[in-house]
Amino acid sequence: MEPTRNSHATLVDLLDRVLDKGLVINADLIISVAGVPLIGVNLRAALAGMETMLEYGVMKEWDERTRVWESEHRKKNVGANLKAGR
Amino acid sequence: MERIDKTEVKIATEAIVEEQGRYLYCVVDSGEKVSFGEIGIEGKEVYAIPYRDICAVVHNCPAQPYRSDDQEVVKAWVMTHQKVVDTAWERWDTVLPLSFDTIIKGETEGSAERNVKDWLKQEYEGLKSKIEKVRGKAEYGVQVFWDPRVIAQNLTRTSPEIRKLDEEIRLKPRGLAYMCRQRLENLIKREMESKADECFKDFYTRIRKHAGDIRVEKTKKAEQGLQMIMNLSCLIYKDRHTELGEELEKINQLEGFSVRFTGPWPPYSFVGGA
Repeated sequence: MEPTRNSHATLVDLLDRVLDKGLVINADLIISVAGVPLIGVNLRAALAGMETMLEYGVMKEWDERTRVWESEHRKKNVGANLKAGR
Repeated sequence: MERIDKTEVKIATEAIVEEQGRYLYCVVDSGEKVSFGEIGIEGKEVYAIPYRDICAVVHNCPAQPYRSDDQEVVKAWVMTHQKVVDTAWERWDTVLPLSFDTIIKGETEGSAERNVKDWLKQEYEGLKSKIEKVRGKAEYGVQVFWDPRVIAQNLTRTSPEIRKLDEEIRLKPRGLAYMCRQRLENLIKREMESKADECFKDFYTRIRKHAGDIRVEKTKKAEQGLQMIMNLSCLIYKDRHTELGEELEKINQLEGFSVRFTGPWPPYSFVGGA
């Protein structure tokens, strides 16, 4: 399958990145925008993490658990790679 | 004697007062002092502030954040931000993108520009090593969804425990069947979770092989009754996504699963942190 970057279909993906990610600058230097509601509620809702427990329950704790698993998995791999001299 | 036009002086002073910030788009791997023309947010001139062999791509703006309650306005700003980053990305092949509305402030005339240079100077080593990390690479988004109805149905077929309970319910009188149904629902819920766990680990291991680096993001709400069970950002050499695409196609073909594959994005998810 091929990746897409059509500007309408992937707007949420774009917003996700441009609004919340990127290079971080020392807070003393920049104009603080933390806590300022920059965008409308609906747009935010589309960006928010899955927050409701759905009928067949893939739950928040599950989501967090997988990310914990990933970071442990990553550490283990880094350890293994270091040992292997990579 | 030359007479100074008072209005001109006033306009010039105001312009200085109003432009005491530098809106940052990205940092690039070039010391070239160039202008991109008026392609910035609200038609501002975008140009590069160099320090040694790197530069910050900026426009001049008042020392206050861009904000609006109008979603369309914000969307347009964000799209423009992205277009500028893309333009720099095309030109220099490697960018460190900043998030929307990052503005370096200045107190007096010219101090914002100095602050940008000082920041580049102070962070030089860190910025250079980030540039090396993402050189020639792009970010791809991978989101895996499943249809909980299909998954639950399949589990009902394949899990002996669920099948047993399901059959019991059929044979029971109404009142008792209700209690059992609750138990069945809980059981399905549990099995769905462990299935999601299993899928996550399996897919992660398969996808990891084809990505130089990977970030696990929070899952989001999905539409049409689907659930997102995986949300990743993958860092890969630009246009070397074929193998990952093939792996994703296999996942996409599984019954009840679908995959969204987006990009190439500038490496937003791989330049944050220290």
